[in-house]
Formats: sequence, structure tokens, C-alpha cells
Amino acid sequence: MRNATVALTALLAGSVLPLSDGPLAQDRTVKITGFGAKSGVVRVFGVNSEAAMKAAAEEINKAGGVTLGDGTKAKLTVEFLDDRCNAEEGISVVRRIASTDAFVAVGPTCSNVAESLFGILQKKAGDASDSGLQFPIIADVAAKGGLAKISEWSFRNVPSEFEMYKSLMAWVKATRPELKTLYGGVEKDFAHSNATFGVMKAQAEANGLQVAGTSEWLLNDTTFSTQVRDMKRANADIVAISAHPFTTCGVLKEMQRQGVKPKLLIGLTSSSSIETLQGCAAQAEGIIIPTSFAPVTPEAKKAAEQVAKHGGSADLHSAAAYEIMFILKDVIESQKIMAKPDTVQADRNKMREGLAALKETNGLLGKVGRTADREAIKPFLYVHAKDGNWVVLHKPSS
Amino acid sequence: MDFYLGLAQIIGVHTLLGLSAYCVLLTGQVSLAQAGFFAIGAYVAGMLTVLAGWSLVPALLISALVSGAVACAVGFPALRVKGLMLVVATTAFGEAVRLFFFNFTYQIQAGNLKLGPHGGEGFRQIRYFPENGWSTLDVVIFIWIVVALVMAALWWLDRSRAGAVLRAVGEDELAAQSSGINITAVKVSAMTIGGLIAGIGGGIFAHYTTHIEHIQFGVVLATFAIAYPILGGLSNVFGTLLAVIFIQGFLIEGLRFMGDWRNLLFGGLIVLAMNIRPRGLLDAGTTRALKRLFSSGKEPSGA
Amino acid sequence: MAARRHCNRVYVPDSGFVVDYLDLIDAVQSVADGVLFGATYALLGIGFTLIFGVMHKINLSFAAASIGAAYVSLLILAGFKAPAILVFLTAALAGGVIGALVYLVGFKFIPLANPLATLMSTVGLLLLIDEIIVHSTDGVPLNYPALFSDVIIPAGPFNIRGDLVFVFVLGCVCMAVLLTLLYRTKLGLATRAVSQQPVASQLCGISITRVNLLTFVITGMVGGIAGAMTGAAIGMLSPLLSLPLTVKGLIVTVIGGLGSIPGAIIAGLVVGGLENFFQFFRGVTERDLYIMLLLFAFLVFKPGGLFATSAGRD
Repeated sequence: MRNATVALTALLAGSVLPLSDGPLAQDRTVKITGFGAKSGVVRVFGVNSEAAMKAAAEEINKAGGVTLGDGTKAKLTVEFLDDRCNAEEGISVVRRIASTDAFVAVGPTCSNVAESLFGILQKKAGDASDSGLQFPIIADVAAKGGLAKISEWSFRNVPSEFEMYKSLMAWVKATRPELKTLYGGVEKDFAHSNATFGVMKAQAEANGLQVAGTSEWLLNDTTFSTQVRDMKRANADIVAISAHPFTTCGVLKEMQRQGVKPKLLIGLTSSSSIETLQGCAAQAEGIIIPTSFAPVTPEAKKAAEQVAKHGGSADLHSAAAYEIMFILKDVIESQKIMAKPDTVQADRNKMREGLAALKETNGLLGKVGRTADREAIKPFLYVHAKDGNWVVLHKPSS
Repeated sequence: MDFYLGLAQIIGVHTLLGLSAYCVLLTGQVSLAQAGFFAIGAYVAGMLTVLAGWSLVPALLISALVSGAVACAVGFPALRVKGLMLVVATTAFGEAVRLFFFNFTYQIQAGNLKLGPHGGEGFRQIRYFPENGWSTLDVVIFIWIVVALVMAALWWLDRSRAGAVLRAVGEDELAAQSSGINITAVKVSAMTIGGLIAGIGGGIFAHYTTHIEHIQFGVVLATFAIAYPILGGLSNVFGTLLAVIFIQGFLIEGLRFMGDWRNLLFGGLIVLAMNIRPRGLLDAGTTRALKRLFSSGKEPSGA
Repeated sequence: MAARRHCNRVYVPDSGFVVDYLDLIDAVQSVADGVLFGATYALLGIGFTLIFGVMHKINLSFAAASIGAAYVSLLILAGFKAPAILVFLTAALAGGVIGALVYLVGFKFIPLANPLATLMSTVGLLLLIDEIIVHSTDGVPLNYPALFSDVIIPAGPFNIRGDLVFVFVLGCVCMAVLLTLLYRTKLGLATRAVSQQPVASQLCGISITRVNLLTFVITGMVGGIAGAMTGAAIGMLSPLLSLPLTVKGLIVTVIGGLGSIPGAIIAGLVVGGLENFFQFFRGVTERDLYIMLLLFAFLVFKPGGLFATSAGRD
């Protein structure tokens, strides 16, 4: 009990201190709430998103903050709530946010949370017969294809893996015509990697590659000898792995053990993070992954530094959170959001309309297109693992 | 306000999950199959309202019956074993159910959408509540009517001869057998009742989360199912309710102000609670003391 | 083409017994790999079964604590490049310390007659240990040094992983040491006495707390080694491991017969082999389904396990 008290005091002290050098009391502030996984095996996503949102808010505030509907300037503050990657808790968190004056929320990390969450939102805005929650949510990480079409209140700023792998496979065909066959590996029980593999395979076939076979495994599998032996027997020129870092590394290590050396190695977008390099830098050497973020432009470099300063790492997911803050700033200004307690529902409606009306937003790598079903078309590039770092390999001209 | 109503929904459904394990625990058996029954209820009820267009109440009745029937069928072989063997056997069964739904696809075309369970990608758009204009409050009232009915039924059962028989088997199997109780029948009945309750709970779960997928019904959920009654105490049904409020209301939502410490405290406080109150938060002694004070066993939500 | 099961693969049951040579080799190799990997399950199973044998209680936090011990070894030796063997020894020591802590926090103050309470307290510890790992590593998988990972023993058309052979040998050594400890030393005598007749042994002057604490320290050390060996065999550590390893540890314990150390070893190898067997013939989505159904049937029809020490114990 005493430990808890000590911890509590330390925590209170820690949470009070930063306030003292925060914005002055007479300044107006607008709180943007993010949510995502900050516990469990996906904690790193929440940590990065939170850092990215805070870094972006700091940038915006340094430039004078955001102009509200009544012409006053406001500073942005960021709060981030943990949903433990659990659907019920995600719903709880959003209901909690929707019970405040907030007019938008940013999140979640996990696609399964997004599925449930977007499901409780009103399906068609303005449909009085639908009692779903009327609250705009914009997702930064949840990557499963087509999530935003569940509700007109749900938006995403995540890259389109369809476009990425379409481009990558075409590039492979153009630059490496000697490669004829592809072998796939897929983490079968995770909706995101499973769906993305469908994209990889279809695009490989569309570009004249022969798919020699597929090996499948589960998210927390630890032994891959059977799968890799099939891979070895197929002896394909290219191996494409659609899996998250833990099993990507497991498979790469087993490939090394069995001496499987494809001429080209392709990975899943989400694995282009530091996790893969911490788990198996040596084995991942050369793996090519399309990603919507790399510190290549001046803005991206600066963003990466700012995010690092806030204790996170900028990758394709957290960069999306960073961009979202600027998107929200623009929409707040263009829609003349009042951010007053008595304009809450009006602000939410305006926010939704503003987000839905966007045709293009500014991204760290260039302009980001918006589709009619509230998804993003983000610029991307190919990175590959080189000496324990992600290095840009090629930037497709789109 | 909406937030507290949402929390009340979660507490209600988890109470049903906990009560389903409570029935089985009364006979001294630890079953980790409850998440499996819960999953069956969720999928059956979801498919009935979304694919067959049924209204919710009959769909829940059918989901309860299906889960109950499966529980009964599993109970016969499973309850031949006990203790750790039963824990692992029921885990195996629960996982088998989960893996069944991992492989289960049954979709119909509705307009430009495909509806229904789709293997590993789950079953989305179970939107009976919002589509029929139920407000959050309506849903809360509905859930708590169901919870109250189930708790009243179990309370009555507990006070009747049947309850005495259940507890007799739980306390001392040999003695119960010698006094002419058919142990297998008692255990299987308890398992069936547990299956019925889990089926209703799962059915509601599918509707207020709108999306279900196999990962949600794993060992963790099964562990929570037995955690509620054990943490709350087996002396009566309110112990389970109290433990659900403790875990969902206090540990998960109430401690949110603790930020990153919240999840560390989650496990830590469960350990602490078991050390301080090994017979549960609401054990027989406390119940007697509370009765003497003429107060109800309820406590305000910690959130 | 015989019963192959490639991706878009179709299993053709009525294609007769014509299995081509390469398939046969692959099948045998797969099962053999699985059996060897099962050595890591066996080590975990030993820990579970030992605690159960002495205290008649389940310690659900054991697998998480084992992984935790492996993490601690990484943490302690992160600063300098330590030889792998030192990493494993550190993991064993850390496992012992964590074992003692688990006993003090999760068992010592809870009445013996209350198995449900300790079941729950170890669930709490499982969650706690997991979250401590997550908070100190952000849940990111970490590279773990491998021992003998580059040793591949060729045996005819087959290849055998040297590191897994080492784990297997280690498992056997652990078994020998533990059996000696249990049947050839005073401590072992006391442990068995406490296990069979706690009250009588207390009357004979044996301190139950001390015996139980020592059991936890010793199983903790086995767990630390198991955690390190699992990390080495996979090449990585991740909090993703603790739950599946808990389930596998329990499965191995009951299949082997509660409290039987040789049983746990054999069961570990059997589970590992079966996993790869079904992986090979039925593919990944159905693999675990068959394992679970088989396990259910096995427990129901042979509740004593392979090597039950005494019947009717729960």
C-alpha cells in the first residue's frame, strides 16, 4: 500500500509540474485526444503516436496556434488514452472522449478496435433512424483495408497498401525482369497481414510473376521449420513476407538456418519499423518494404527529430498521427470551429463535413489525396534494411 | 453521461460472463470453456439478427439454447476429470471453439456488401441497436433487465434445494455422493446453466461491440470469466457483480488517471486483493455482517 | 501427386498411399524439428509439474516469469558483450530470484486450503510480469543470443538443429539433477514429505515455508533456463510468448501426468512433434484445432496422463 502511495505522489507530482510551464490561463486551448494501445505487445504504437501528436502540437503552437471560428487564437494540447488494443475498452475510451467538449478523436492503433468503434458510429450522417454515436474519428494506425467505409463519421490517414504493392510489383518487373517466381509467407490469424497478402499476391500475378506457393503461420508462432522448408523447395526468386516484426524475424532466422537465399526479399509495410531491426537486423538485411514515411524531405527530417524529442520514433504510423494534427488544424480553421461548450455537436458536425470535404492534405512526403470513402492516398517510397538501418531504395514517381 | 452508460453496458455483459462461470464454480469445478460458450452465443445471435433479420430477444433465446446445448454435450465427457485436468481440458475445448470460428466463413451478399462471419477477418456490422434507434440508455436498461433476471434466478436457485446440492458437490464430492446425489447430473446441469448464461452474454456482447472476431474469445477472456466469481467470492451472486465493478469500473476505467501505471496496477491489485481477501471480496462473513447492517451488498461504481 | 498441402493446397485423402520420397523426407524432418523444439516446452513443463507435485497448486505465472528471467539476463548484460553461456546463467539466477518473489507475493500469505485464491493470484502475477516487460521494452521484440545456433548436424537426408539438441540434453540434465535432488538429498526427502503429508511433516520439524520457498527458487531457476533456451531457439524475446507458453506448459504438465518429471519431458517432445505434424498435413489454420480436440479427447479418456504418479489426485 505504501508503495502505491509513493507511486501516486510521484505521479501526481509528475503530472502537475508540466502544467506550470504550460500555456497561460487566459490563453484559449483546444484539447485533441488521441487513443490507442499503450499496453500489451503493441505498446510501441501508442507511445509513438502520442509522441508524434505532441510534437506536431508543439510545432503548431510555436507558429501561433490555431485560429478558432470567433477569430481568437488557441493553443493545442494533446491527451492520449490507452485502449489496450481491446474493442470494449476502445468503445469506452471514445464514449469518455465524446462525453467531453472534444469535437474529434485520433486513433486507434488496432484494426479490431477500429472495427467495433466505427460500428457504433452513425452509419450515414444525418440519418435520424440510426442512433449511432455522432462523433468524428480519424485513424492513424489501424491498417486493415477499407475500414473507413464502415461509417461516414470515420476517417483514416493510413497508406493504401493496394497502391504500394501495385507500384512495388510493377517496379520489380521493370527493374528486375530476370525474376520470374514469387513465394509468399503470411501471418494468417492477423486480419491486416492476411488481407495485405491478398494484395501482394494479386499484384505479383498481375505483373507476370508466377506465385510458386505460400507458407502460413500464426501471430505468436515460434517454430517455422515446416513453412520455410516448403519455401526452400519452391526455390522462388522472390520471397514476400506479410507478417509483423516478431514472426517476420522468426521466419528470416529460420531461412538463414536452412540456407534459403532468395534473390529479392519483400516485407509488410508495418515491419519497416525499428522493431524488425531490433529483433533481427542481420537476417533482415536487404528486405525491401514500401512505406509512407522516411526522413527524406526537410519536413520529414524535422518531424522525425521532433517526435524523437518527445520520446517516440517516427515511422509510417506515427508520421500519420503527426500529419493528422496539421489536417485537424486546417479543418478547424476552414470550418470555423468554435470549440465552446455550447457548440459541441455543431463543431462535431462541422468537423465531419470538413474532413469529408478534403480533396488533398499536406503530408510529410508530399501531397496526400483523399478518396470518397474517407481514406488517404499517400505518397510512398521503398526502403530496404542496410547495416541495421532503413535506407531509401527508390522513390516511385507517381 | 454517455460514458457511464457505456460502462454500465460492459459491466452488465461481463457480469453475465462471470455468472456463467459462477454456476460451474459452485460445484467446485474450474472451467475455462466459458469464453467458448460466450463465442458461440455471440456468433449465433449475430448471425440471427444480421443474416436472418430476427429481432434481438428471440435471437438471444436461441443463442442461449445453442450454447447451453453445447455446454451440456461437452459437460458429459469433460466433467469426468477434475482439478488441473479439467482446467486444461476446458481450455482445449474453448480454444477449439475459437479456432472453429477462425476457420468459419458464412457470408451472404446484401447489396454491395457481404455480411456474415468471415474467418480470421471476423464478423462486422452487427448493428441491431443503432439501426433500430436504440439509445445508449435503452441498451443499458435492456442489458440490466437481463442481468437482473439472471441474478434473481441464480439467487433463487441458490436458496433452493438445487443450490444446496450444487454446493454440497462443491464442498465435498465424496460426501455428496454417499448421500445419494448423482454427481455427474449435478455437474452437467451446472455446466448447462453456465452455457445458457454465457450464450445470452455473448449474444449481447456481439451487438454492443458490433464486430466480433476469434481473437476476442481466447484464453484471456476465459480467465476473466473465472476471475470475476473467484475475486468476488462464491457466497452469493453479488460477489461476481462486485468483482466485475472492481475490474471493469475501478481497475480499467477508474484508474485511468494513473496513466502508464494503470496496467501495472491491474495485475498487482488483483494479487493484493487475493492476499487480503483469499475467499473473495464478498465472502460469507462479510455477507453476514452486511445483513446485520440491513444494507444491500451493492457499492457505488469506482469510476 | 500425393497428399501435399501447399498454400492453395488441397489435401487429397483418396489419392492412396503414394507419397513421393521428398514429401516423406519433409514430413519426417518436420516432425523431427517439432520434437526437438518440444524440448523447450519440456523444460517449462518440468517447472509447472514440480510446483504442482510439491504444493498441489498451479502457478500460472511460471511461463511469464521464465520469459521475464530471460529479459532480466538481457538487461543485466546489455552493457557489455557477454558470452552466451553467461547470459543463460544469469537467466537461471534471475529465475530463482523471481521464483522466490512469486512465492512470497502469490502464495505465502494465502491459506493452503484455498486453491482458487492462488490460481487467481498467479493470474494477477502473470499479467503483472507481462506488463512490467511491456513497459520496460515497449513490447518490442528483442534479439536474444543463440547458443550453437550455427551448428547443423546432418544425418542422411535430414538436418538436425544443434541448439535444439543442446536444449534437449539440458532438459535431460535438469531432470537428472532434479531427480537426484528429490530422491537422494535431505531437502528432497523433506520436499516429498511436505508434498505427501504437510501436517505430519510439520510435526516432524520440517518448515513448510522453507521447503516451498526452495521449491520455487529451484523451479524458478529451471524456468529461467527454459526462458533463455526458448529465447535462444527462437532468436528473440517478446511478451507475445508468455500466454502461448503458459498454455503449452500446462498441456505438457497434464499430458505427462501431474507431478511426473520424465512424463513432462516426453509430453513436451510429443506436443512439439504433433504441432509440426498437423502443420505439415493440415496447414496452419486447422493445426491448433486438431491439437486442442486431440488434447480434449486424451484428457477425457486418459485423465491420468502418460505417467501419472498417483491416481485420483486433483
